[in-house]
Amino acid sequence: MIVAEGLSKSFGPVHAVKGVSFTVARGELVGFLGPNGAGKSTTMKMLTGSLLPDGGRASIAGVPLDGRALGARAAVGYLPEHTPLYREMRVRPYLEFVGEVHGMGGRARRDALERVIASCDLEGYVGRRIHTLSKGYRQRVGLAQALCTDPDVLVLDEPTSGLDPAEIVRIRDLVVDLARSKTILLSTHVLPEVEEVCRRVLIIAGGELVADGPLHELAEDSADAIVVVVGSAETPAERIAGSLAACDGASAARGTFDGIRTRVHVTLERGADRHALAEALARAVHDAGWSLQELRHEVPTLERVFLERTRQLAATGGGSAK
Amino acid sequence: MSSRPRALAGVLPFARRELRSAFESPVAYVAIGLFVLVLPALFFFLGYPVGRTPLPGLWEGGQASLIVLFYWLPLLLALVVPALSMGAWAEERRAGTEELLLTYPVRTGAVVLGKFLATWTLTMLMVTLAVLSAALTVGFLGDLDWNTVVAGLVGAAWLCAGYASVALFLSAVSSEQLVAFLLGALALGLLWALPLLVRVLPGGAAGALEAASPTTHFLGSAARGVLDLSDLIYFVLLTALGLVANTLAVERRRWR
Repeated sequence: MIVAEGLSKSFGPVHAVKGVSFTVARGELVGFLGPNGAGKSTTMKMLTGSLLPDGGRASIAGVPLDGRALGARAAVGYLPEHTPLYREMRVRPYLEFVGEVHGMGGRARRDALERVIASCDLEGYVGRRIHTLSKGYRQRVGLAQALCTDPDVLVLDEPTSGLDPAEIVRIRDLVVDLARSKTILLSTHVLPEVEEVCRRVLIIAGGELVADGPLHELAEDSADAIVVVVGSAETPAERIAGSLAACDGASAARGTFDGIRTRVHVTLERGADRHALAEALARAVHDAGWSLQELRHEVPTLERVFLERTRQLAATGGGSAK
Repeated sequence: MSSRPRALAGVLPFARRELRSAFESPVAYVAIGLFVLVLPALFFFLGYPVGRTPLPGLWEGGQASLIVLFYWLPLLLALVVPALSMGAWAEERRAGTEELLLTYPVRTGAVVLGKFLATWTLTMLMVTLAVLSAALTVGFLGDLDWNTVVAGLVGAAWLCAGYASVALFLSAVSSEQLVAFLLGALALGLLWALPLLVRVLPGGAAGALEAASPTTHFLGSAARGVLDLSDLIYFVLLTALGLVANTLAVERRRWR
């Protein structure tokens, strides 16, 4: 279990993380999202003990993390951003070193090594120097070192960054497999990846947590939209969009003409009834004499939720997690 | 877990890793090879032309003694030890491995001690090979007092420990290996040169400076075959100071 309570960190005049609080329950796989410089990596460093917070507290598996908390550090496996490794070392000696550092001796270390080498598909590579491996295999070595002690908690900072699609799928499958028995906080910029593997997401922007909840709830809370497709080649798309934006309950509309049809994306006003707006839009299309070809409610994607939440913070200059 | 005390178990993996890394690149072999060639060459052919009373080389002086060789050690090691230790922390930071290292369940002091042990071992291997190769040659040519050789090596071990701890601390506060080397060589070079300033300073200050220099504590006794407790205390304090400063410098990074 990971607990962050009011974590704060400043670097000189820059407030990188401002009072971030959340809990990741045992056995949960949580996506940790945010734009570059939002405070993700700083938060993860504070959760793994490589950085101490200026304010607030963190604990791993019930053990508080401070400068002397060796127990908490032993309970977490960490894959930092960019996968820092001793590149001149060979894979097996490197993993042996990690095991030794964690106090694993003799048979326990050998068994652990065999387990992680098998689970990370490194069998054919244990004698290779790390700098000769592809980025994907280096990433696997990074994961293997994080898994060496079979920790209860994993903190993975962009584990698929810079990998080719096949490697992304392999690493993602491995993370999903690990999630069956471990608590995982997964930071990534690949939003479809989060949609696929995480039920819950945390979104951080400007050092503040701006969203925390199950994906479907965040999507429902997000601004709704209705897509209207109109079969009218004579009327300019801007005019159609303008007419639909004037309907009760619509806050904005954006139209694009593809040569045959005009597709209008209508955003709902906060609190507006989407069914009433759909009826109003259908009526407006009919009254204008256009042909209504399609009218559907657009389900917000994680990408839209992410952009909306991070933009909201930029617009208001502050934020609060749901 | 083994019966080995946990604190030591935390130190040894880091020492082994550093040594393994050193010997997996050509750097350690080249450094050892050069040192083993250059130090005896200076001893045999050049002598020690530094200070008030220059010493002749072995061929010129004709004495079966390694004192000239030991006189070169403080100066040569002021360049070699920073070269061997410059990457110990600076490279960890550059490669990002320091971040991972700070998350391991070991005390920072254990990591510092492990890196110190590796640098000390490597330096002593180099010094021992150079001293033994010269000692065997001199012993073949004349009547060498082996007790002075052993005392000189013990003193060299103290000197190397002090130098290694200072150079490692300077690597811990440097962002790049080159900066670490330059800082280390400058600091150890200044410590070496302190006795040379004695001539231009008034009595009290000169005495204090001379007492602060590792050169004085090595050349005044161990290099001449005498092991002095006060010198041991000096080198223990210098080494401890370097190690504590190193630990604090690394620990401070958690607050950066």
